[in-house]
Amino acid sequence: MSYSRGFDPKRRAFLGASVLGAVTPGVALGRIDVPHTQESLREQDTAYSFCDMCYWRCGLKVRVREGRAVKIDGNPEHPYNHGVVCAKGNAGLMAAYDPDRLQYPMLRTGARGEGKWARISWDEALDRIADGLSKVKEQYGAESLAMIGHGSWEKPYHRLAHAFGTPNTTSPVFGLCCGPRAIGNMMVTGRNLTGNETLDLENCKYFLMLGRNITESLHNGETMAWVEGVARGAKVVYADPRYTITASKSDEWLAIRPLTDHALLLALIHVVVNEALYDQQFIAEYATGLDELKQRIQAYTPEWAAGETDIPAETIVRIAREMAAQAPAVLVYSPRRLTRSSNDLGTAVSIAILNSLFGVWDRHGGIFTPATFAIPEPDLPPYPHSHAERADGAGSRWPIANTQYGLTNEMWRAMADQQPYPIKALITAGGNGFMNGTDYDRIHRAIANLDLFIAADIAPNEMNSYADILLPEASYLERYDDLQTGGAKEAFVAIRTPAMAPLHDTRDAWSICKGIANRLGLGAYFPHDSVADLIDERLHKVGLSRAELELKGVIKLPADPAKNFPREYGLPSRFDTPSGKLELIPSTLKQLGMDDAIDYEQQLRPQDGEFHLTFGRIGVHTHARTQNNPWLADLMAENALWLHPDAAAARGIENGMRVRVTDRRGRSEELAVKVTARIRRDTVFMLHGFGHFDPRMRIAYGRGGSDANLASIEQDRRIGSVAMGMALVRVEKV
Amino acid sequence: MKKRYVMLADITRCINCKACVVACRAEWDTPLGYSRDWVHEVESVRADGLPQLQLFPGRCQHCDEAPCVDACPSGAAWKRADGIVLVDEGICSGCELCVPACPYDARWLNPETNTISKCTFCQPRVDAGLPPACVQTCVGGALHFGDANDPQSTVSRLLHNKEWLQLNTSEVPGATSHYYYTAGQTLPSSVLPHPVQQHIPGTLLSEVINPAAKLGIGGMFGAFVIAGVKKIIDRRTQLSGKEQHHD
Repeated sequence: MSYSRGFDPKRRAFLGASVLGAVTPGVALGRIDVPHTQESLREQDTAYSFCDMCYWRCGLKVRVREGRAVKIDGNPEHPYNHGVVCAKGNAGLMAAYDPDRLQYPMLRTGARGEGKWARISWDEALDRIADGLSKVKEQYGAESLAMIGHGSWEKPYHRLAHAFGTPNTTSPVFGLCCGPRAIGNMMVTGRNLTGNETLDLENCKYFLMLGRNITESLHNGETMAWVEGVARGAKVVYADPRYTITASKSDEWLAIRPLTDHALLLALIHVVVNEALYDQQFIAEYATGLDELKQRIQAYTPEWAAGETDIPAETIVRIAREMAAQAPAVLVYSPRRLTRSSNDLGTAVSIAILNSLFGVWDRHGGIFTPATFAIPEPDLPPYPHSHAERADGAGSRWPIANTQYGLTNEMWRAMADQQPYPIKALITAGGNGFMNGTDYDRIHRAIANLDLFIAADIAPNEMNSYADILLPEASYLERYDDLQTGGAKEAFVAIRTPAMAPLHDTRDAWSICKGIANRLGLGAYFPHDSVADLIDERLHKVGLSRAELELKGVIKLPADPAKNFPREYGLPSRFDTPSGKLELIPSTLKQLGMDDAIDYEQQLRPQDGEFHLTFGRIGVHTHARTQNNPWLADLMAENALWLHPDAAAARGIENGMRVRVTDRRGRSEELAVKVTARIRRDTVFMLHGFGHFDPRMRIAYGRGGSDANLASIEQDRRIGSVAMGMALVRVEKV
Repeated sequence: MKKRYVMLADITRCINCKACVVACRAEWDTPLGYSRDWVHEVESVRADGLPQLQLFPGRCQHCDEAPCVDACPSGAAWKRADGIVLVDEGICSGCELCVPACPYDARWLNPETNTISKCTFCQPRVDAGLPPACVQTCVGGALHFGDANDPQSTVSRLLHNKEWLQLNTSEVPGATSHYYYTAGQTLPSSVLPHPVQQHIPGTLLSEVINPAAKLGIGGMFGAFVIAGVKKIIDRRTQLSGKEQHHD
């Protein structure tokens, strides 16, 4: 398991040099005092980039020596990270130098998933792909191709799929992650708050965090700003069944019953509305629906919520009053991934309502309006219009689901059931359908139905082990990519440049997709010779050049506080809802008959001996993507099941023992147990992303248990997003 | 004026993200399984029954009267006038006599080079005007480095404005180190220095076995006493599990 094969150990940051240090007299008693040799730094080059280790995308300044990337630093100019990189970002070198990487195109020679491959040339791979896609199109129509992407380089695969004529492109970001949060905010305020959160954390005075484990589900810029806000004295109330590092930084930990955040929120709204603690001038000017809201939440008293949440009624009342006293510099801090219960929409809408009642929009310490750097896309021919509705039902059967990213869980279901129509070809660009919580059985059935499965990725994983043709992508340290434009207080554009030439026979997504498109007669959609040319055209349209951007890796426009915080400057806020107002009872939900999402839905509770299964993240790993990274595995190689000491004692389980966790469907995982008072008695927890079963991942293979094999695949019944938190499990000694 | 380099570790801001640990590995090529720096994550239960978690980013404390320097027979371990304790790799024989002499377990034999490795405060970077790699990449803004003799430096300002403590041991009489933690919390025993296992005069042994941390600048002596330290020693022994790798 040595990593030095791919990684030159002679790349040390210094030379033995001629700097001679004087010896401090009197310290080295009884030894010969000699001049000491000290080390000094060597010359190096810099390549600017942005990170691909998680989805926050920090700006990077990569140190390069003798044509090799040797150290990744944060780009101090970049507004997402201000010069820092986390453990994952620092370990990005090993994403490139990983000895287990996919190194050349491969053709499956055995049964799917059997692990038998033959090396083929790029030409043969692209010829076979074009041929296979043409056959599927001829027999089943263009919409029988699905594309699932998950990475900062997925963009050209979306373009390729649309040019081919299918509407079926999807990314997990909506249906498996942030979708309910985005929809809840959109419905109430017309702003989605996804991507890089636009929260004025440094200046916030009071955080109510609903399982937002910001220190471990780590996004550098957001985490830095939150830590700063806490250091400046903000009060933190943290609601989570588990005592996380974020809980340890909080003033109060509310060990809330799993799945009941909505009850807490409704009771807070109850207090804020009934005691008229809301920002009355703001609500009068900007909001509709207060009277109806008041009527609808009367049943949700703090006493009622106490029974649901295990949080005392007087605590709920106190929090509502404390927040009102600090408003508008307060935040009801949504989880980022809000795919937990059968009514995540109600939870998300309640968060948006409460933030609106406190008047946080466009105020210091609240939620700001981001500035964006609009850089037009290149001119391309229009995509062929597909008459087919999306196979995942986003926009039709699931009318409020996002149609750009779709419902990845429903796309896998459509493939597994071949409903509403056949899906016979699949292209994946990164991602891992097995480990991201959409059910092993469903993924197996989906793949079995395919005529053609093409997987593009940097490293092996369970999903791409089933591919017919495996395309090795260049890592983010070995390629250009399309521009990063973002929304922060400052508008900015950033560039990813190669820190080194590809180490293996890999290509970047843009040239792969261009190669396929050319063979399909769709070359007009990829008119640029390379992605560098694409960048040149886009920058030229706004009067910039690649050379200018490569000077510091990022170009920023100065922040304009009046645009970020208009209501601090006597300027109006804008809310792009149908009425142009904050809709405390969202009109779109009313029209669709979905406004009952505002009402509470009773959630599952464990029966005799069962536990809620919860899962989450730690700062040293991203999703299921980094467990095979040698440097990160050295920090944490496997996960453990967190179990309360009382629950452990009742089962004769001791810390460190192996246990089996079994859900109601009989699926089970085996892993070590961590007995800790840092979790509720009725709840167990495991870190996400472990329990890999692809033997090509030589470090991660067989280490720990897979939460994805146990997570619920129920759905939010209005959005269609997955409800992963509805799993109930039993725990026994092995 | 002579420089006095120090590092401050603000435990209220540390989030145990281990950016420092990986940055150090990337900067100095430390072999897997070894690290020049670490974050101790200490779980306990408070008097009111609620859990507690404390985080201590650690590394060589760069003692002024460093026992490792005294223990080194070859002269490879040495200390610069600005306080940085270094290993001269050209001289170091890898005899490991310095390893048990360090009360903080900050020194280890690098199996690839057969010499002793330790935190150097990133001396080559510092000499080039750069911050140590761990400080530069610290996500929580917990680590600070600079010249405590420069009244304009960030560390001077922080030392003046906040309460800090050092983990000095009684077997280093009168010594100060160049490493500070935020004061005000009871320190768990696992963070305290252990006895120096060589060159200890017998009369000092009893003091050394129950080391209490000595307060640094502007100390708050009442914040933690030996009783408080001993109280959680037992808890400390319960800690285990793969999720506290560096404990």
